[in-house]
Amino acid sequence: MQTFHNIGTTTDWIVMVVYFIAIMLFGSYFGRYTKNTSDFFFGGRRFSWWLITMSIVATGVGSHSFVKYSAKGFEHGISSTMTYLNDWFFIPFFMFGWLPIIVYSKIRSIPEYFEKRFSPSARFLATILLLLYMIGYIGIGFLTLGKAVIPMLPEAFTVLGMTLPITLMGAIIVIAVITGIYITFGGQTAVIFTDLLQGFILLFAGLLLFFFGITYLGGFDMFWNLLPTEWKLPMADFNQPANFNFVGIFWQDAIAGSIGFLFMNQGLIMRFMACKNVNEGRKAAAVNILFVLPISAIVVGNAGWIGKAISVVSPDIVSPSVSPDQIFVVVANIIASPGMFGFIMAALTAALMSTVDTLINATAAIFINDVYRPVQQFVKRNVMTDSDRDKKELRAARYASIGVTALGVLAVLAFKNFPTVYEAHGYFHSTLTPPLVVGIFLGVFWKRFTPAAVITTFVGGVALMILGARYPGLLIAPFDHGIEMNPDHPYSYIRALYNTLVCMGAAVLVTITTQWQRNICSMIRENQNQKLIMRILVTIILLVYSVVLFNILGLTVQIASAIGVLILVPITVTYYVKYDEKVNTNGLTAGSINIARNLFKGGEPNDQEGETVFVQLKQVDGEDSVVQFSTKDMAIMKAEIGDLVYISDKRKWMGGLKSIHAVFGQPHDEEGMVYITPDQIKHGMFVDGKMLEAEKEM
Amino acid sequence: MDFTHTWLPFIYLYGLGGILFVAGIIITIKSGSFDLNRHAHKKWMWILLFGFVWYLMMHALMTWAALDIIPVYTVPIVLLGLVAIFIIVTLKLRRVGDA
Repeated sequence: MQTFHNIGTTTDWIVMVVYFIAIMLFGSYFGRYTKNTSDFFFGGRRFSWWLITMSIVATGVGSHSFVKYSAKGFEHGISSTMTYLNDWFFIPFFMFGWLPIIVYSKIRSIPEYFEKRFSPSARFLATILLLLYMIGYIGIGFLTLGKAVIPMLPEAFTVLGMTLPITLMGAIIVIAVITGIYITFGGQTAVIFTDLLQGFILLFAGLLLFFFGITYLGGFDMFWNLLPTEWKLPMADFNQPANFNFVGIFWQDAIAGSIGFLFMNQGLIMRFMACKNVNEGRKAAAVNILFVLPISAIVVGNAGWIGKAISVVSPDIVSPSVSPDQIFVVVANIIASPGMFGFIMAALTAALMSTVDTLINATAAIFINDVYRPVQQFVKRNVMTDSDRDKKELRAARYASIGVTALGVLAVLAFKNFPTVYEAHGYFHSTLTPPLVVGIFLGVFWKRFTPAAVITTFVGGVALMILGARYPGLLIAPFDHGIEMNPDHPYSYIRALYNTLVCMGAAVLVTITTQWQRNICSMIRENQNQKLIMRILVTIILLVYSVVLFNILGLTVQIASAIGVLILVPITVTYYVKYDEKVNTNGLTAGSINIARNLFKGGEPNDQEGETVFVQLKQVDGEDSVVQFSTKDMAIMKAEIGDLVYISDKRKWMGGLKSIHAVFGQPHDEEGMVYITPDQIKHGMFVDGKMLEAEKEM
Repeated sequence: MDFTHTWLPFIYLYGLGGILFVAGIIITIKSGSFDLNRHAHKKWMWILLFGFVWYLMMHALMTWAALDIIPVYTVPIVLLGLVAIFIIVTLKLRRVGDA
């Protein structure tokens, strides 16, 4: 396979350095809007849909997409767009199930949902799985960054007479240091605004590249006619080849990947939490998936298609044997002029950094919320003021960002031996998402789903997944839809189907046998030696789990052990975990969203649709959670005392950056004025004399 | 071209995907979180159904174009037509809501 080094000119490097400095200054500027951990992680729940839509572009498109989709575009053609065009199927579940729940329940992380909905032990296991998922995702991001940058670097450089080779890992470490800088000091607001800028630049750079490519080839007709028919089809062959087939990618991406991305990608969820309300979140998701993703599919894959067309007409310029993961850089260098190539590469690498920094920020949020705070509560170190605690948590969040970055670099080692980033990412998604996906999905949409079932999904489901990974020819083969097994990387994609089915099977079986588990627990509790019985049960679980985990004895014993786990874990959880279905599902399932809305508001929602009003601010002293409008303005908004209100700077282009949420207080008679406290003015960064816009929420 | 590379993936995607999509709508309606008595949610129903047809048409058109059944330029023209319909209907629904 042909690989490249030293691509690009000095002009390109100058453009890249200037671009990076500009982006970092831009991010640092918005870092000043970060005042506490809520701002650091969630941007203060204030932004408009369009701003979030564009910032999601940089996260979605930047995430290793240019490299991996160009690679598949080069190898297989326009079917590289498959994964961008199959995300709509789960959108009803997301818009009317998960999104309102995460907003109204005021959870700060996905594991926190597991504690509220199930139990602290479910949260503990979810935290482990989610941290693995997020750190793995960061690792994939770093791997892609390294692969994107390596073709531009020399094979080695000389310092003080010593020749040092440039390795993939070396490049990744340097990139990780740069990436960590502004996320550590900026926070979520900085990330959102940096991504907003980069979202536009990315789409522009990708479309510009397509235009250059078409021009280079002599027009669109020439390009289209050069592609073989298989390269023009929008979907891959049903079940071949093993490294790129429709059905495997359907289960890995359209099912596990889409649910994973929408339901458990903390980075994406934090973006939706940063929207000013649920409806804005729905709009952001809809516009992104309907219109931005199809454009993004062209943006990220076209370098591969152009590369394929050039390789057909001029194999001396682009050899068919070019390493697929390098095709983006190779094609960009051929068709773009010096300087422009630097700009495209800067946009690519900066976008990748956007993805990685979003993930780092999100993983730090999980660490603070699900590890740091519970540990602080456990050691009872919370005898301090809210302000002091917040400062301490903000500092811990920044240290966590650094630690997560380092772990992300280490995670690269797990993926760097896959032939392409695409396959590494496919394997990663197929393997790590199913248990959490099943846990979240059934938790939201099935009220009967119990802590015993979710913990068995995490423990027993994972045991069956381990067996599938160990014996793919036996356990995954029945679900392979005719896909040939590659012994080096068996069933990279279709394993998602097996993994999802075993997790779902464990979850459903345990849920429908809940009464049996309760009966058995009642019998144990009636026994005088109940504690001894439970200790024996736990010991047996540990022993049989070790048999699966450490590959002890043969397949039959391991399968029997996994079945043992599936039987014993629910009984043990039912015995130890206190769970009240009515309390634990209140406001946390799709069936109780109206209750969630009541809890969020602290009273009955007022669904009368009013109009927005424009007002000037008047500074008064009072409660920081309350603002006062005139009687007439409240009537226009159809608001009542105690309703929630969102006040923002009237300038739409600010996208809600300068805004606050508050509660309607007693009305006054000064029409066109809002009475607001100095703290609210400071938090909303409102400027005296600038018009504000107010709208009633819910 | 082989059926396994042309229409079988299409049928599988929109058959199984369609079942999941419809199941999502039914489950969220039954749970009460998607309430078609509210005007805003009716508008969302239109957007959801449009989205399904939008992607189905996109894949169908791209397949026909790849097989030279229709000229490739038909794809963006039809899709832009669908976008125009989407914008008009969505704005109309918003005005009905405002009224």
